[in-house]
Amino acid sequence: MPPVDLRTFPFSAVLGMDDAKRAMQCILVNPNLRTVMIRGGQGTAKTVLARSVGRISGKTIINVPVNVSEEQLFGGMDIDRTIKSGKAVMQPGILSRSDGNILYVDDVNLMDQRILMSLLNSVMDGRVVLEREGISAEYTTDTILIATMNPSDSDVSSHILDRFDLCAYASFPEDESQRAEILRRNTEFQKDPQGFNERYKEEEERLVSNIERARKILPLVSMTDDLLGVSVELASKVLADGYRGDIAMVNTSKALAALNGRDEVMKKDVEEAAMLCLAHRRNYVQEQQQGPLPQEPDEPPEDQEGPPEDQPEQQEEQQNEPEEPQEQQEPPPDMDFQQLLDDMVFEIGDQFRVIDYLNDGRRKVSKTSAKKGRRMMVESSSSSGRYARPRIPSEKTHDIAFDATVRAAAPYQRTRDHSGLAINIQRQDVREKVREMRAGCTILFLVDASGSLGVRKRMSAVKGAILSMLRDSYVKRDRIGMMAFRRDSAELILPPTRSVEYTYRKLEEMPTGGKTPLSEALVTVNEYMTSYSRSHMGEMCYIVMITDGRANVPLDERINANDEALRLAEKMAISQVRWIVVDASAGFIRFDNAERLALALGGTYFRLEDLNADRLAESVRAVIR
Amino acid sequence: MMDKLLFPFVSIVGQEEMKKALLLNIVDPSIGGALLKGEKGTAKSTMVRSLAQILPFREMVEGCPFNCDPNEPDLLCPECAGRLARGEQLRSTKKRMRVVELPLSATEDRVVGTLDIEHVLKTGEKKFEPGVLAQANGNLLYVDEVNLLDDHIVDLLLDSAAMGVNYVEREGVSFSHAARFILVGTMNPEEGELRPQLLDRFGLSVDVKGDKDTAVRMEVVKRRVAFDMDPSEFTKSCQAESDALRERLTKARENVFKVKADDSIIKAIVTITTSFGIDGHRADITMLKAAKANAALEGRDAVTNDDLRAVAALVLSHRMRRRPFEESAFDTEELERCLQSI
Repeated sequence: MPPVDLRTFPFSAVLGMDDAKRAMQCILVNPNLRTVMIRGGQGTAKTVLARSVGRISGKTIINVPVNVSEEQLFGGMDIDRTIKSGKAVMQPGILSRSDGNILYVDDVNLMDQRILMSLLNSVMDGRVVLEREGISAEYTTDTILIATMNPSDSDVSSHILDRFDLCAYASFPEDESQRAEILRRNTEFQKDPQGFNERYKEEEERLVSNIERARKILPLVSMTDDLLGVSVELASKVLADGYRGDIAMVNTSKALAALNGRDEVMKKDVEEAAMLCLAHRRNYVQEQQQGPLPQEPDEPPEDQEGPPEDQPEQQEEQQNEPEEPQEQQEPPPDMDFQQLLDDMVFEIGDQFRVIDYLNDGRRKVSKTSAKKGRRMMVESSSSSGRYARPRIPSEKTHDIAFDATVRAAAPYQRTRDHSGLAINIQRQDVREKVREMRAGCTILFLVDASGSLGVRKRMSAVKGAILSMLRDSYVKRDRIGMMAFRRDSAELILPPTRSVEYTYRKLEEMPTGGKTPLSEALVTVNEYMTSYSRSHMGEMCYIVMITDGRANVPLDERINANDEALRLAEKMAISQVRWIVVDASAGFIRFDNAERLALALGGTYFRLEDLNADRLAESVRAVIR
Repeated sequence: MMDKLLFPFVSIVGQEEMKKALLLNIVDPSIGGALLKGEKGTAKSTMVRSLAQILPFREMVEGCPFNCDPNEPDLLCPECAGRLARGEQLRSTKKRMRVVELPLSATEDRVVGTLDIEHVLKTGEKKFEPGVLAQANGNLLYVDEVNLLDDHIVDLLLDSAAMGVNYVEREGVSFSHAARFILVGTMNPEEGELRPQLLDRFGLSVDVKGDKDTAVRMEVVKRRVAFDMDPSEFTKSCQAESDALRERLTKARENVFKVKADDSIIKAIVTITTSFGIDGHRADITMLKAAKANAALEGRDAVTNDDLRAVAALVLSHRMRRRPFEESAFDTEELERCLQSI
C-alpha cells in the first residue's frame, strides 16, 4: 500500500452511508463494475467518502473538473513538443493519465452532458478514440469513475444514469447521537489528522486486506440459475430499459459474496445488489402507462426497490421522509372524484421524489437562494463551447487554435529564421478557435396546476398551448421541460428533453387541484434553472409561466402570499433565462396579479384568454426569436 | 495498439432485426447503412463493434491511405491516379473490412482530413493528411449517439455519403478522394430525435427493444458475465461459428450481383411503397437491394416474397410519414395484403 495522504479522511471513519460504502467496495473488487454514482444532499459527506476510496484502493484519485473541455479530457495537441519537433505530438488527456487509477467527478450533473456521455462511454469501453486537432489516436484506459451529485440541483438524464453500474443514495442521518459522533470525528480529524489516522489504521488495513481477498475469490464465485432468475425478474419489475441493470446485478452480487468471503452468491447479496443497481434505473414513464403496480396504499413506495427483507434500509429511509406521510394524510380540500383519480397519478409521481430526492424533504428554503442566481451569473464567454473549426482572427485573440496555426505557418518554414526552434510562427499565421454552442434553446413550462385553474376548460387550453409548442420544438430541436406547482410544492414533472413523445405523455398525465404555492414555485424553479443554465452554457433558456398569479400559500406564514411572491420575483436573476408569463385567470373580476408578476420578473406578459392554443405558441415563439 | 477483445457477434442473444440490418449492408454496402435506435443498454454498440470479427476481406490498393479500390479506376485518389498515369501497376491486396469509429468529440479537420504538418515542414510541400472519412472508405463508419453529433459534422457526413466522395478545400489544400462507407448510427431517441435529412440518408432502420422474457434475459446476462470473466476463452469457444458466418458473408457478397428479381417482385415493391404512402424512389431501390442481399445471404439466386417480408420493415419504418405524436408501428397485415394482391 502506498503512503497514505494524511489530509484525506479514513474510509472506515465515515459514519453511515452503508450503501455508498458497499458500492465503493464492490467496484474495487469486481473489474467489470466501472462506474458508480453517489447521490445526496449537501453535507452528506459524499465527497469525503469518494476521496477516501483512494486510501483503501491504493489508487490515485484524479479530479475531473466539471467544466473540463474535450481537449483536456481526451487529449489534444502538445504545443511545446509540436513546436520543438515539428511533428504533431499528442498531449495526453485526463483519461490517459487515469489508466489504473480512479476518476472523480463532483457535481456531475453540472457537467456538459455530451462530454459526460463520451466520458462514461470511454470508461465503460476502457478505450478512447481521439480524432481532434490534427491528432488521431486510440488508446486503452482501465479506470473507475466515481461521480457525486446533489439531486436537488438539476438531474442527469436517465440515459446517462443507466450508464452508472451502481448508484447509492447518501442521506443525512436523522439520529442525533450519530450526528454528534460525526461532528466529534470531524473535530478530532481536523485537530490532529495524524493521530486520527493512527486510530483507524487497523480498521483501514482490515478493509484493504478484505478487498484483496475478495478480488482473489471473485473468479470462483458462482451464482445459481434461481438467483440469476430473481435478479433478472427484479430488473424487469422496475421496468429498467435494456440489460445494463441485469448485468450489473450479477456483477455486484458476486462482488458482495466475495467481500463476505463466500464463493457462492446468496439471496442476501442479490437483495443488496438490487438496492445499488436498480433504484436509479427504475422507469417511471412506462410504469405510469401501465398503471400503478399493485401495492398497499400505506406501504412506503421504496419497498418495491428491494425484496421484502430489506427492513433496516427501509426504516432508515422512512426516517428521512418525515413530511411524506403527513402530506398523504392531509385531506384534499376541493376535489371531485375525477380529481381524486388524477391525484393517484400524482402520487406515483411522488415516488420519484422518495427515491431520487431522498434528502430533499429536509431542504429548507434558504434566504440566499434568490441571490444565488446573481452570484453565479455566467457570461457566456467566447472561450466556452466546443472547438469546431479554426479561422483567421479579426483582432487579437486569446483562444488560439494551435493545430491550425502550425499548419498555417508550416509552408513558410523553409524561408524563415528559426533560431533553434522547429517552427517559427508569425502573427499572420495565428488562427483562433471557432467554438460552437448547442443550437436551439430550452423552454421550461412552469404550470400552475392548482384548483383555481382546475376548471376543466382552462387546463385543457393550457395543455393545448403547450402541445402546440411541442410540435414546434420537434422541428426546431429545442428542449422542453415541465414543472407544475400546486398544494404546497413545485414538482419537476419532466427535466428538459428533446424527446417530444416523453413530454407529451407527461403532459397528458398532469393532475390538477389544490392551493397555489407561487413562492415555492419561484424558489424551486430558481434553484433548478440556476444549476441547469450552468451545465448548459450558452443555451438560452425561457421559463413560460402559466398562472393566474393568485398565490395563497406563502413560505413565511406571517407574510401575504402575493406580496411574498412579488418580492421573490423582483429578486430573481438567473443567467441566460428570460421569463414569459401567461395569464390564465378567468371570471368577471379581473385580477392583475399575473401582470404584476410579469413586471416583477421583467418578463413578457400574455393573456391566455385572448389567445387560442396555436396563437399562444406563436406569440411565445415571437418572443424567443 | 493493444487489441481489446470484443464480445462476439454470434454470441449476441436475439436482436435478429438488428443483426439482419447490419448483415444485409455488409453484403451490399450500397443499401445505404443502418440506423439502430431504441432503448438504452440493448447491445446496440456492442453489436456494431463486434462486426469487426466477422467482416469479410475486400480488395484495395496496397499502401494507399485512402483505401482505394483498384477495380474502380474512376474513383482513385490523386496519388493512385498519378501512379496509374505514369504507367505504374497498382498492386492490389486483400484486407479485412474494419469498423471505423467517429467519436462525438471529433473535430472537423480530423473528419475530412487536413494539411500534413510534418510533411510540409520537412519538404515545404503541401500534402494532404487523410481523415476519418478516408479511413472509412470501403469500410464501416460507426457513429455512436449519432443524434448528439454536432450539426456541422453531420453536414460533412451527409455530403460525402451522398456523393461517395470527400471534397476538401481548406488551408490551401484542395483534394478529393472516394469516401464510400457503410454508415451505421446508434441512438437513444429519449435524448432527442435525428435531423430529418440524416434520417433519410440511412438505408435501413431498426427499432431496438430489450427482450422482456426472463429466460432470454438470463441467457444474455450469463453470456456477458462469462465473456467478462475470460474474454479470450469465450471468443475461442465460438470461433468456428464466427468463421462460418464470415464465409457466408463473403459468398453472399460475390453472389449478390447475380441475384434476379422478376417483374412480379418489382411490382410488389412498388405496390408496397405506394400503399405505405412513401414518396420518392429511394425506398423502392433500397427495398430491391435489401431483398437481393437477403436472398444472397440465404444462398438463393432469385428474390421471393419472403425476402420482401424480411426486409420491408427495415426499409420502410423510418420513411413512413408520421406525425410527432403517433406511435410508429409497422403494419405487417398491410404488407401481407399488398403481397397477396399481386
